[in-house]
Amino acid sequence: MTNDVIIIGAGPAGLSAAITCAKHGMNVVVIDEYYKPGGRLLGQLYEEPDGSWWNGIKESDKLYNQAINSGVQLKLSVPVINIERQGTEWNVFTNMETLQANNLLVATGAAESPAPVPGWTLPGVMSVGAAQVMTNVQRVKPGEKGIIIGVNVLSAAIAQELKLANISVESMTLPKINSMNHDYAIPKNVVNSLLHVSHLSPSPIIKIGSNLMKYKLINKLALKFYPNKGIKMWDIPIQLKKAVTQIYGTDKVEGVTIANVDDYGQIIPKSEKSIEVDFVCISGGLYPLAELAAIAGCPFYMIEELGGYVPLHNERMETPLSGLFVAGNITGIEGAKVAAAQGTVAGLSIVNNTLNSAFEFELEEAIKQVRIIREENPIQFHPHIQNGRKKMQKYWNEYFANNQESFII
Amino acid sequence: MSQRIKYHPLLEDYKDGKNITFIFNSEEYIGIEGDTIASALLVNGIRTLRYHEETGTPHGLYCNIGQCFECRVNVNHQQGVRACITPIEDGMVIKSQDVLPTPVKDWREKHDK
Amino acid sequence: MSDKSMIICRCEEVTYEELIETAEKHKCSARELKLRTRAGMGYCGGRTCRNMVESIPRQYLPNKEQLGLVTLKYQPPIRPVHFGDLGGDET
Repeated sequence: MTNDVIIIGAGPAGLSAAITCAKHGMNVVVIDEYYKPGGRLLGQLYEEPDGSWWNGIKESDKLYNQAINSGVQLKLSVPVINIERQGTEWNVFTNMETLQANNLLVATGAAESPAPVPGWTLPGVMSVGAAQVMTNVQRVKPGEKGIIIGVNVLSAAIAQELKLANISVESMTLPKINSMNHDYAIPKNVVNSLLHVSHLSPSPIIKIGSNLMKYKLINKLALKFYPNKGIKMWDIPIQLKKAVTQIYGTDKVEGVTIANVDDYGQIIPKSEKSIEVDFVCISGGLYPLAELAAIAGCPFYMIEELGGYVPLHNERMETPLSGLFVAGNITGIEGAKVAAAQGTVAGLSIVNNTLNSAFEFELEEAIKQVRIIREENPIQFHPHIQNGRKKMQKYWNEYFANNQESFII
Repeated sequence: MSQRIKYHPLLEDYKDGKNITFIFNSEEYIGIEGDTIASALLVNGIRTLRYHEETGTPHGLYCNIGQCFECRVNVNHQQGVRACITPIEDGMVIKSQDVLPTPVKDWREKHDK
Repeated sequence: MSDKSMIICRCEEVTYEELIETAEKHKCSARELKLRTRAGMGYCGGRTCRNMVESIPRQYLPNKEQLGLVTLKYQPPIRPVHFGDLGGDET
């Protein structure tokens, strides 16, 4: 049987698209390899600027219930291994069966960029997102006392979540510099990125940002006056002048070696000391998880503001491949609200393409909504996200100017 | 040993599921329905999920969302099951990957090739 | 353990030192670096170390623009599959 729509990814983008399509009478299947619906929305828990709390589990439940009530078929714990176009249909190969659809939406979200630190393969070292999910979703403490390596919007938000669950966090600090991690190991670069996001971000970063301001300091001076012991955020010292040089332990994490670093991330000799911890979180930021769009044959562009390689797409969430759509973090790293709004656009795009452009107005409105949410969104992973979006639009226009035929069929 | 987070200031209280038993590397453990293999083992104080095929170094959970395959274990004779995204079930028999023989490499080293 | 023995590819346990030395010696593309060291060829399909394996050669390329374009490709299956699941039903 050919479905009207298959959606890969049951996060905010995928579920919002599914709800939109199903409400317009389409037959929709959503596939996700995770065992719960919600994607990375599940672990999220942060304070909104108005003081209310964004609870990802509740938001996921809402989307899930709406999807089920609209008649969406959900296949969880099912990994997709390949997608291929045959004739006018998309074939989606899972580990168990092959499904067909006229429209395919790839909403696979993002993954965490690994950030290696010597000793990082020891059990007890995990990505910061892993600790978030273990704490908020599985409700098991990742450990008794940990340290977070990597200071950014994501790790600051998760540090607070660990604290809320009564898990002790020794400090947030930087990784030892190597040739691959200059963006997040050099104190100057880290301060710069924190200052850029501070006016837009939720409480954690606002606090770091405003604390930096308090020390009177814009860009160049900020670091000079930044105290060696760090500035505390909910009792967690944020140490921008220290770096973990080694994670040690025999068969699991027993502690870390931490050293003072200069403005350029170079270790200050003889400043090393050991701190006992039983878990370590590493944060290297997020990148779009686009492998399925890549094997489908979608052109890719490296857009730093969007977090990495992103499949070519337009504001309607169309790709140059006929019947293939993308939405959510696969198109660039942004918050869950933007992802959900993009999902609605993708859903309307699919409906509109199928029903002879009868929903042009609704689609335009939904696209406007994405822009509004993007502007209002307190979580901005990259300060120049708007530029990134503009670049993608430019690539799209160029692509179609150079390729006479419209879509690849 | 890692603890269960039963009470949380913002999230709902943790609801205890049904107790189940499972086997990990020939030892019996108690788990709770709703856990993943990885979280059930962590509550039991176990972080090492496998040993590297060649070097034997211990590996545990890393990304916890099914991306990195670091947590892969053998479940009911099925290889390569991701402990972080697989719900634990009553009677599951879980085994860690252990060191595999490397006859070609050993031969090469011995014969200086 | 120092920086140099830091593992980059967790599946195949390829170290930073091995990658840097290979990239420096052969001034090669990311693809060649992968083939020479096995970094990115393990169980996870290179999902974890991919960006790092791509970034290292860039540092040693004589003509950065030209060779920086050779990125690692994606190919199916993007998840390991058991032969039994592909239709080789034993029953």
